[in-house]
Amino acid sequence: MELTKNITLGVYLPGNTAVHRLDPRTKIIASTILIVILLLINSYQAYGYFFLFISAVIAAAGIPPGYALRGLKPMLPVLVLMWAFQLFLHSSPDADVIFSWWIFSATDAGLHLGNMITLRVLFLFTVTTILTLTTSIVSLTDGLESLLRPLKKIGLPTQELVMTMVIALRFVLILAEELDKIVKAQMARGVAFDRGNFIQKTRKIFPVFLPLFINAFRRAEDLIVAMESRSYTGGKGRTKMKTLHMGRVDIACILIILLFTGLMVLTIFT
Amino acid sequence: MPIEVTGLNYSYKKGTPFEKKVLYDVHLRINDGEVVGIIGPTQSGKTTLAQHFNALFIPQSGKVIVNGINTADKKADLVKLRHEVGYVFQNPDYQLFASCVGEDIAFGPRNQGLPSEDVAARVKEAMSQVGLDYDTFYSRDIFALSGGQKRRTAIAGVLACKPKTLVLDDITAGLDPRGRDEILAVVKRLHSEKQITIIYISNSMDEIAELAERVIVIDQGRIAFDDLKINVFNQPEKLRDIGLELPELMTLAIDLHQQGFNIDPALLKFDEILQSILDSLQEGQVRE
Repeated sequence: MELTKNITLGVYLPGNTAVHRLDPRTKIIASTILIVILLLINSYQAYGYFFLFISAVIAAAGIPPGYALRGLKPMLPVLVLMWAFQLFLHSSPDADVIFSWWIFSATDAGLHLGNMITLRVLFLFTVTTILTLTTSIVSLTDGLESLLRPLKKIGLPTQELVMTMVIALRFVLILAEELDKIVKAQMARGVAFDRGNFIQKTRKIFPVFLPLFINAFRRAEDLIVAMESRSYTGGKGRTKMKTLHMGRVDIACILIILLFTGLMVLTIFT
Repeated sequence: MPIEVTGLNYSYKKGTPFEKKVLYDVHLRINDGEVVGIIGPTQSGKTTLAQHFNALFIPQSGKVIVNGINTADKKADLVKLRHEVGYVFQNPDYQLFASCVGEDIAFGPRNQGLPSEDVAARVKEAMSQVGLDYDTFYSRDIFALSGGQKRRTAIAGVLACKPKTLVLDDITAGLDPRGRDEILAVVKRLHSEKQITIIYISNSMDEIAELAERVIVIDQGRIAFDDLKINVFNQPEKLRDIGLELPELMTLAIDLHQQGFNIDPALLKFDEILQSILDSLQEGQVRE
């Protein structure tokens, strides 16, 4: 049994492709643009184009497609639930009822909305996964920090914020590993997580979360001590060992993203 | 309940770019009443192998048969099997979660669906087996325990399920010498009084020499040795290649033997070596 197997968010897949070599700022900006596009598109045609584009990026980055999608597996129940909510609970006066069951009735508008929202979440997840799979934590920090620098002028502690975010991302995997150990320790004493009804299953979760949280706090304290003992006092006056610079690859990437954005704007507004 | 492992292979994160093979074609058999030491450098696959014994891992290829039950069998009652093959984890913090010692120990028997009087009796018995006084420790807060007491609580939590085989995964790591000795004494007693099969995983040759009769050395996912401990310890060069040293007591016995003491280097227990040092001093057999 391995829980960490299906976690792809926050994992870095080392490589030497053009996507890996991009300046982290380019990748962050490109991902942000893609996310904004995702929030605006509303037709199957647009999602089709988006799918082609993302597939090309995954291929260019040398990520095994199966691995890029693996992270979605644990999310599947949530996605299905979300889709069902939209399908049954969306009501608009001029929608046609497809079928009814008990007090629920599914409408074509609800179906459309459910599909759109599910696709949106799927692609949002894939875009972020591609970003973290091709960008190491260090360059992700550097990139974010550099992009957020203007906000420092209005007094935002950007360096600290970015550090917090990156630590959180790193902890996803660490906590998953701990969860794996705790779940095994409980299974060894006869807990059958896959047996029983919903309430029984939920009750089994509590003994798992208690040690998980306690260990997380302990880890956080250790981390504070480790950072302080290396004289970390916050962002002020810190310099970088590696400085970022944009190259030809970045310009090419920005051009591609702009072209794609143009295409998407055309599909959205026609 | 013998454990039979044939042709076992296992890879972590199989089917992802991070796939890493940790066990290669492992064959072994552990019989009832044995005390088997499993030793190997860190990351050698000891824990992965041992967690196949109680079906926390299901073989990717090959077979693990515990008391006639194939762990890969979809219909096998793995919950029952896990009660029979108890597993104590390296870090008690992953295992202990209840508010007090007694409640934590009761967790396993409750999962077995026992009535509360039986659970109470099991808790009492398990606590006495690990040397925790029932009245003093039953309602003690888990966080108020020392490292050694935490381990003993963790062991009691597993013993309360009445296992026939006990897998102890590096349970002395990070303990002070006294805590370590207490734990070793508990393990010895469990074997001699209850005839529980013990599978003792450790990084310490000394503990293995002290406890086990048979030693399995694992190196990079393969079984390097599976023999009586004296036959294993007779090949120090090979052990050193793997990154393991002889037990300190054995090194001492060899040194003393070379200095003229009448000591058998095959003695591996502290008491025996101490006794023969005293004997040979009394007999005045030492070459000046």
